[in-house]
Amino acid sequence: MSIVEEPVTETRRWVGQSVARKEDPKLLTGRAGYIGDVVLPGMLHGAVLRSPHAHARIVSIDTSEAEALPGVVVVLTGAAAAELVDPMPAFCAEPVEQRAIAVDRVRYPGEAVAAVAATDRYTAEDACAKIRVEYELLPALVDPVAAMEPSATRVHETLDSNVVFHRSLDWGDVDGDLARAHTVVRSSARWHRMGAHPIETAGAVASWDPYGQSMTVYSNSNFINFLPWAFAGILRVSTNRLRMIPCTVGGSFGSKHLITKVVSITGALSKACGRPVQYLEDRTDNVAANDNVGCDRIYDAELALAEDGEMLGLVLRIIDDYGAYFQFAHGQHGNAVAQPVGPYRIGSLRYDVSCVLTNKVQQGFFRGAGADPGNFILERLVDKAALEMGIDRVELRRRNFIRPEQFPYKIPTGNVYDSGDYEAVLDRALEIAGLDRWREEQERLRAEGRYLGIGLASCQERSGYNASEWWFLYGDEAPLPATSTPESCKIDVDAMGGVRATIGCPLWGNSPETVVGQVVAEEFGIDPSSVSVAYADSTSGAISAGPGGSRVTIMLSGATRGAARTVKDKMIRVAASAMEMDPEDVECVEGVFRAKGAPGTSMTMAEVAMRAHLFNDGTSEAESSGLVAVHTYDHPYFTPPTADRSDLGAFYPMVSHACHIPIVEVDPETGQVTLRAYYVVNDCGTVMNPALVEGQVIGGIVQGIGAALMEEYRYGASDGELETPTFREYLLPSMHEVPEIVLEHLETPSPFTEYGVKGAGEGGRLVAPTAIASAVDDALRPLGVWVDELPMTPERVVGMVADAQGRR
Amino acid sequence: MKPAPFEYAAPRDLDEALDVLAEHGDDARVLAGGQSLVRMMNARQVSPAVVVDINRVRGLDALGVTNDNGSSTLSLGATVRQRTSELSGDVAAHAPLLAEAGAHVAHAPVRARGTVVGSVAFADPSAELPAALLALDGLVKIRSRAAERTVAADDFFTGPFRTALAADEMVVGVEVPVTAGRSGSAFVELTRRQGDLPVCGAAAVVGLGDDGRVAQARVALCGAHQRPVRVPAVESAVVGADEPSPFTEAAARAADGLDPVPSCHGSADFRRHLARVLTARALSTAFARATSPKETTHA
Repeated sequence: MSIVEEPVTETRRWVGQSVARKEDPKLLTGRAGYIGDVVLPGMLHGAVLRSPHAHARIVSIDTSEAEALPGVVVVLTGAAAAELVDPMPAFCAEPVEQRAIAVDRVRYPGEAVAAVAATDRYTAEDACAKIRVEYELLPALVDPVAAMEPSATRVHETLDSNVVFHRSLDWGDVDGDLARAHTVVRSSARWHRMGAHPIETAGAVASWDPYGQSMTVYSNSNFINFLPWAFAGILRVSTNRLRMIPCTVGGSFGSKHLITKVVSITGALSKACGRPVQYLEDRTDNVAANDNVGCDRIYDAELALAEDGEMLGLVLRIIDDYGAYFQFAHGQHGNAVAQPVGPYRIGSLRYDVSCVLTNKVQQGFFRGAGADPGNFILERLVDKAALEMGIDRVELRRRNFIRPEQFPYKIPTGNVYDSGDYEAVLDRALEIAGLDRWREEQERLRAEGRYLGIGLASCQERSGYNASEWWFLYGDEAPLPATSTPESCKIDVDAMGGVRATIGCPLWGNSPETVVGQVVAEEFGIDPSSVSVAYADSTSGAISAGPGGSRVTIMLSGATRGAARTVKDKMIRVAASAMEMDPEDVECVEGVFRAKGAPGTSMTMAEVAMRAHLFNDGTSEAESSGLVAVHTYDHPYFTPPTADRSDLGAFYPMVSHACHIPIVEVDPETGQVTLRAYYVVNDCGTVMNPALVEGQVIGGIVQGIGAALMEEYRYGASDGELETPTFREYLLPSMHEVPEIVLEHLETPSPFTEYGVKGAGEGGRLVAPTAIASAVDDALRPLGVWVDELPMTPERVVGMVADAQGRR
Repeated sequence: MKPAPFEYAAPRDLDEALDVLAEHGDDARVLAGGQSLVRMMNARQVSPAVVVDINRVRGLDALGVTNDNGSSTLSLGATVRQRTSELSGDVAAHAPLLAEAGAHVAHAPVRARGTVVGSVAFADPSAELPAALLALDGLVKIRSRAAERTVAADDFFTGPFRTALAADEMVVGVEVPVTAGRSGSAFVELTRRQGDLPVCGAAAVVGLGDDGRVAQARVALCGAHQRPVRVPAVESAVVGADEPSPFTEAAARAADGLDPVPSCHGSADFRRHLARVLTARALSTAFARATSPKETTHA
């Protein structure tokens, strides 16, 4: 383990400040340069025809009428595209092939069956309307439990079963803990599929050069500097003849890591006609067919406790509905086992997961990435244990929290938690919520026949993933057992002393420019607004896994600090040489290089930079000219899994923590849930920039409100048709559904990272759903309601009330 | 999300607009506020060959009260915006139910474009304004190149997004009779989010006799049937009540015989349940407002 030595007395000028966001001016004035803003000479516009059916054989496709339409340049069926491009990359070991345009068979509603390139988007869509497709319907698999039956129609004939993956792992003595437990609390839970819905959909502009056999792709993908070779693979282009150019991303929430389908479709169209082609999904494309859908899980869970409430062991049996493809394998379960035991000292864990294929769009990643339902079920079990054992829910949590002196703390799966002080967070949350006042209000309203509820959840937010989480649930058969998740930054100081940072990750809706500016400013003592930040394309050699798993501030801090220090050290040597001093005696303070303790002798950044660029004196001590450094920061604390997986290793060790206390009012007759107030205490280590973290936490809570109350993909039970194709059916919270959110921070710095930062990008959504469920429970306690299914739609709430009354 | 090609007509007077409808019939659609039509055209759920934009037609934006032989009528023309109606003093004075229901329609920027008549003509079985018009015993004024007719709201709505309108006709206005006497009204609904179409809503008007008892009641529901619908069984059951406790029992019959259109926001059974709950609430509030004049102003 590498522990970063930070002098406790270190004073920071810029890290920790709410520095103005560098990205804001261009974003707020619409000048950020999205995919929709890219215009290339001769560029055509794409549109995609999609299957209305969940499961069907494509009998025939007639494109002749579409091709005859003036302005239409090319129409591609799946079979025609397959002549030009290759299937999607897959992180699964199982033979589940996926193409961007379906060949012979569609497996989910919205799967692409043809694509058009035309002189404008209107004409392209007119052409789609003229393509005639004859389908032969096949039985639609909607219910994952039914799809597990051996007799069920198979989604892929290359598989023996729709259960594409199953594994059960024990860590610790699970059976022993169940046997010696005083109480075993059992709960089922249903977490339905919901998805990331960024304002900007997925898109790309591809431009094929038939003479150089090279492809240039503008896109809003994240992995352009991480897996560019994977894109080359699908585009059937040699890796060193593909150039991926990042565009500003209009939001992602995890959904745009690869976006291989749009890259493949634009690439195939461009190859077919030799002109640049732009395709940006419209909203219905994105809702139906983008890989932005998160987990879709059925839990059967048990928590074993001793008589005094000590949590002993946890059993999680999970059926996860993956949809029609298995591109990202079971990565969202690798993610979940980073923190399955939450903030508690639970000694054993059984994790039994069945991944099932059905006729729905495949899962991708969405803020929370598998740990979101994990927090939901765990906190539900803890609340249920408190109720069944007659222990106050706050007290039960207190008794089981990992204590501050126990860090770094290794959980049963092998992951390590770096630091924390969970009881302090809980105490402060109870304080700012003014719990007594709300209990009085609850009593007062109950007397009027109204139902107020006070929620509580104490949850983890693992951050900074290592790639092992994508594959360690496989044994030896992992297709790509990668172990690196690097992030790099190049810093150059020009001859006039101007500092430029070039980073490998794209602007994905978060704030990399601001963070990089703060770190550079901290290291040189200059103003962050003076630092310019640029984004590298895939020809730069920068390697970058980019945002994801709440990692980017952690990783960019390390990469930027490393590069800044290398350049600064060289500048110190150059300045020392010029001032005829020992480098040991020179320091850089507020952008000035000066003798330590004798500030009279000094050189400015510009003076040192000019000397480094143009005045190499040719002596043997002289260094090469120029001031540039690239620093690639690898995962700060990773250990590999053991062969038998009895220890998965440390893979997600920067662990933030939060306590959420929402206040709700529930109308049991209509099922309406209204949030009255919301209190949060968050600990994400050193807060790099409080304004940015506030935005992340509150934005995450808003998505958590969506998860708790409204967001859900629904498919027709018999025909599998998508019943939520637009935002009229798939509901996102608006400002009216969000109460004032009171947020405070405690800081327990991570010992593993630069400055002690931890992740903050997902915590809001990781905690809010289970906290709101607990609030609804609390409100309806007089009616005997127990929430085990999200979202809590009005109809479900009324159903839960009726069920509870029926049981009485 | 681009519409199919269409022709666009922007007539300046009503006859010109009716000419276009007479010529194109079902191939033409009238554009008023465009808050439903444009969305549906972009999604290619409808692809009219001709769009007749009536926003420039003179005289269709009139809102006012007319007196004829002692009976007064509140009338709204086809391009009166929902926001205008919601904020109108005449509407507040003579049909507060219309203002109250109107305030539930979407959000203010949408209401600033959307029209009352457009919502009525679109006939979404879940929409607030058609139900309010029904509860107010409203009339729908219809014109074609050849004729003019007036239809009771209850006869106008024939099914989901279906009306008594012929292909060459358009709705030129709606009218609400102005009544004297002690009365109160209320609109209540359940929406998934503020501004959404209701899963179910109930509009009630309660008139009191000199004895303070309910002399007449009108209740209309949205989201509870194939069309906005009156519930006469409830209306007659509450006549004679002098306090609100009988309303719940009466409202238990609100869903009898109804056939709600299910959606992902609510099954048919849930909508029937809501019809009962919301009918009772709407009647109670309307009664309270009738008995206590201070309550007649809505929030």
